[in-house]
Amino acid sequence: MSILDADDGGDLAGALAALQSDEEGELSLHDGSRVAVIGGGPAGSLFSYFLLQMAENVGLEIEINIFEPRHFTHRGAAGCNHCGGVVSESLVQTLAAEGVNLPPKVVQRGIECYALNQDVGTVEIATPLNEKRIAAVYRGNGPRQSEPLEFIGFDRYVQDLAEQKGARIVRKLVSGLQRLGGGIRVLCPDGSGGDFDLAVVATGVNSHFLEGVDGLEIGYSGPETRKAFLCEFPLGRKEIENRLGAALQIFLLDMPGLKFAGLIPKGDLATMCVIGENIDEQLIEAFLEAPEVKRCFPDGSVPPHICHCFPRVNTRSAVKPFADRIVMIGDTGTTRLYKDGIGGAYRTAKAAARTVMFSGISEDDFRQHYWPTCEKIESDNNIGRFLFAVTRQVQKWRFLRRAVLNMTAAEQRRATGPRRMSSVLWDVFTGSAPYKEVLLNTFHPAYVATLTWHIMLSLVIGVFSFGSRGQR
Amino acid sequence: MTSSARCKTDRIYAEQAEKLPPCRTGCPGGADVRGWIGVIAQREKSGLPADEAYRRAWEIIVDRNPFPSVMGRICPHPCEDGCNRVDKDGAVSINAMERFIGDWAIERAWALPVMDEGPQAESIGVIGAGPAGLSFAYQMARRGYSVHVYEASDTPGGMLRHGIPAYRLPEDILAAEIARIVAVGVELHLASRIGGDLSLAKLRERHDALFLGIGAQRARRLGIPGEDGPGVWTGTEYLGRKKNGQPIDLGRKVAVIGGGNTAIDAARSARRDGAEVVLVYRRSRDEMPAADHEIEDALVEKVGIECLAAPVEIRRNDGHVRTLIVQKMELGELDASGRRRPVPIGGKQTEMEVDSVITAVSQEPEWDRLDQEAPDGARMESRLWAGGDALGLGTASIAIAQGRLAAETMQAELRGLPAPQPLSDHTVQTGQVKLDYYDGQERVQRAHIPTAQWLSQPDMEVDRTITREAFEGEAGRCLSCGLCFGCQQCWMYCNPSGYTRLETVGPGMYFSFDPEKCEGCGKCIEICPSGYLAPSE
Repeated sequence: MSILDADDGGDLAGALAALQSDEEGELSLHDGSRVAVIGGGPAGSLFSYFLLQMAENVGLEIEINIFEPRHFTHRGAAGCNHCGGVVSESLVQTLAAEGVNLPPKVVQRGIECYALNQDVGTVEIATPLNEKRIAAVYRGNGPRQSEPLEFIGFDRYVQDLAEQKGARIVRKLVSGLQRLGGGIRVLCPDGSGGDFDLAVVATGVNSHFLEGVDGLEIGYSGPETRKAFLCEFPLGRKEIENRLGAALQIFLLDMPGLKFAGLIPKGDLATMCVIGENIDEQLIEAFLEAPEVKRCFPDGSVPPHICHCFPRVNTRSAVKPFADRIVMIGDTGTTRLYKDGIGGAYRTAKAAARTVMFSGISEDDFRQHYWPTCEKIESDNNIGRFLFAVTRQVQKWRFLRRAVLNMTAAEQRRATGPRRMSSVLWDVFTGSAPYKEVLLNTFHPAYVATLTWHIMLSLVIGVFSFGSRGQR
Repeated sequence: MTSSARCKTDRIYAEQAEKLPPCRTGCPGGADVRGWIGVIAQREKSGLPADEAYRRAWEIIVDRNPFPSVMGRICPHPCEDGCNRVDKDGAVSINAMERFIGDWAIERAWALPVMDEGPQAESIGVIGAGPAGLSFAYQMARRGYSVHVYEASDTPGGMLRHGIPAYRLPEDILAAEIARIVAVGVELHLASRIGGDLSLAKLRERHDALFLGIGAQRARRLGIPGEDGPGVWTGTEYLGRKKNGQPIDLGRKVAVIGGGNTAIDAARSARRDGAEVVLVYRRSRDEMPAADHEIEDALVEKVGIECLAAPVEIRRNDGHVRTLIVQKMELGELDASGRRRPVPIGGKQTEMEVDSVITAVSQEPEWDRLDQEAPDGARMESRLWAGGDALGLGTASIAIAQGRLAAETMQAELRGLPAPQPLSDHTVQTGQVKLDYYDGQERVQRAHIPTAQWLSQPDMEVDRTITREAFEGEAGRCLSCGLCFGCQQCWMYCNPSGYTRLETVGPGMYFSFDPEKCEGCGKCIEICPSGYLAPSE
């Protein structure tokens, strides 16, 4: 099963049962219910879109207010949700099946291959299967100093969809939530807000909203996060096509604190995305000075970037992201480790919408029908953490780096036959498949045997080159 | 380029930087408009009860201008011209708000706040109880000086009383705001004309310092044949006599010469006297110095306007004015005032049949009453200051500002303090305010009595004070240009938690900012609606 398949469960009968149970005093939505969605990024917008669609199907009249003060029509960090903007093709297809078709004006560029850059060399990994092609999008309206684009950002596009479905976009910042007897009060600094039957928190981890949730005493504890780095290079469309083409550059360098980095070609710009344990100015400067990075740029020198941010990325799921009448989705709840955040937003939004519509809005309803989706993502993340630990070892040891490179290169040279290392790398870095699936692939005897062969070969070469260097 | 330099090119470190809003820089008196509106608009955030917020707002106004109720009626409110809200849904109705809060204070008999600087030894003399003199007197009295105001007329107020018709400024409003100034400790000497026994020299002996606020009472002459004689009046003469119960019979048809506020006031007053009125102005309507809404109101009252027409002769028959000869003009090159100079069109003269003529082209001070040369600056010589129309014809707002400035300067000099500093020129630039952050809300409609009553109730005030609801609604429309109003977005979206909430909050004080934490992404600057946050220099 693909990671993107939302949990099955619920149908018309379930919805009717939920409506009936409401009469018995249980918590669920009914005609005229009001839902507040805090945060109009992909999680909030997709949730609203799905819930309104489900409500339409069962003939329920509900009102959804999406509270989002920022305009995704602004260029620069203020109108952006800070991520590399990579949507895997499988997610593109899944969204299409939900009626969310990403139009060409949202897709900055289709990514057709990955280039793995290491000190030992560079190898290109072509898309293993056609359906694994991925799309590069902007999460805002483009970088601060960029020219106005005819493209529109992903977040704005999905928010527009939710609005077209009937959600009301409220351009207000929410400073807190308050539990009232029979509902949730949304508080805005200017005194506006309102009372709602359900509050869906989709503020992500790049806002301080969650600090205001502590007062609710619902046992929720926000996700653990780590600082990442994003910046934009204005290379020009022509240069990007000549130099980067449709290839996403991945950098696996032996640098303390660095996990991996990616350079994602878009229209006129390329987005650099750096993930690590201790991202700071020094690490970024050292990284941009690395020869493996410099050689991806024109004349082997990294140009000034025009927009940057240090967004927070999830490293561990939130604790108990739900309570009576409250549910946290997207990054605020659980998402996938280091990548495919939009996929995580989609999965949790869909699971939460289904729970709300077909089960109810009590803490128990969320625990039984929403939490399993979060748990599944988080247990896969545990496998992911193991895989990244292994990757870290590969980064550390030159002979391992060479072995991985050589094995991949050999696979890419072959016209046919299984490309096991390519596939593992592809899945680790694109987020197209669950980490569990990646791990299982590495257990394949053929994979183990081939890798062992390449490691030995690499060791021999290493000893030989060391010896020859020593002779000189 | 080194990578270090490369990274720096992109870093935009933030700082909290208060800037002046255009309402303040547009006001001749430098009124802290954003300050007092902010107290009202942010009263709930600051935890202020409405009554207390109103009181504080009023005190901010009267710190600079003791006449909010008067100015809320007669000020041409240049503060509204630059309002950044203009491009969204109309400027904040500052003038109507000032009137509301001024009336609110009069109804509650609030006293003007005095400063706790203690009594001072010096005695201060003020010549003229117009807006400049009274503003000066108030500012000195509240600083603890003993202040004596000498007024030639038997009522205080100067042009506010004698020059502004009742339908624009009711007597009781002016009286109430003057009484409040007197209550601070100002001694008024009415019917005390300078000259004769009460010479300037005598006053200089009696007081440690003097302020001249004699205004500009004398009308400038047209310099045309027939100007002297019966049936020709100056605007100030006509308006003053009307206010003082000695009305002038103008006859059936009146020509008013001029395009300024006095000309409009005279024309509209003459309509109230039942005359047919034609305003004769030598330039075009666009060049008229009168406030636009005053011209509009005059048109509603069916005042005829004859533009590009200059009077050349007034003719009489049997001692009565019969005819005004006007020369048709056209606009030529720009003159020193930046307006196009009117030039006669050869041979084009017309005759207007009139019963009287009111001239209101300009006024000047009557310096000859003082044994003194005309001054050319706010401060003439040791311990002698001047302000208001005496320094050049302007608005009441300018006069009040000059009175205050003279008081501040005099206080600094008497007490050996540094001279008062002018406002900084750090104004919010257009585009720094993000209009799309703010909710749309239409500007409050002007409130007035039905137009049918404008002429039938000649002494009734045309405009009404806006409601409390409208007042608070307008306060909510203020964008707080250049100052934090607590939207919380910087705090909310700052990844490195650079902003910390303050415990006691109010306009401009909601968060502290730690520049050490700043990652230079520039998000808070881009997102700050009011233009308060800026790149650090």
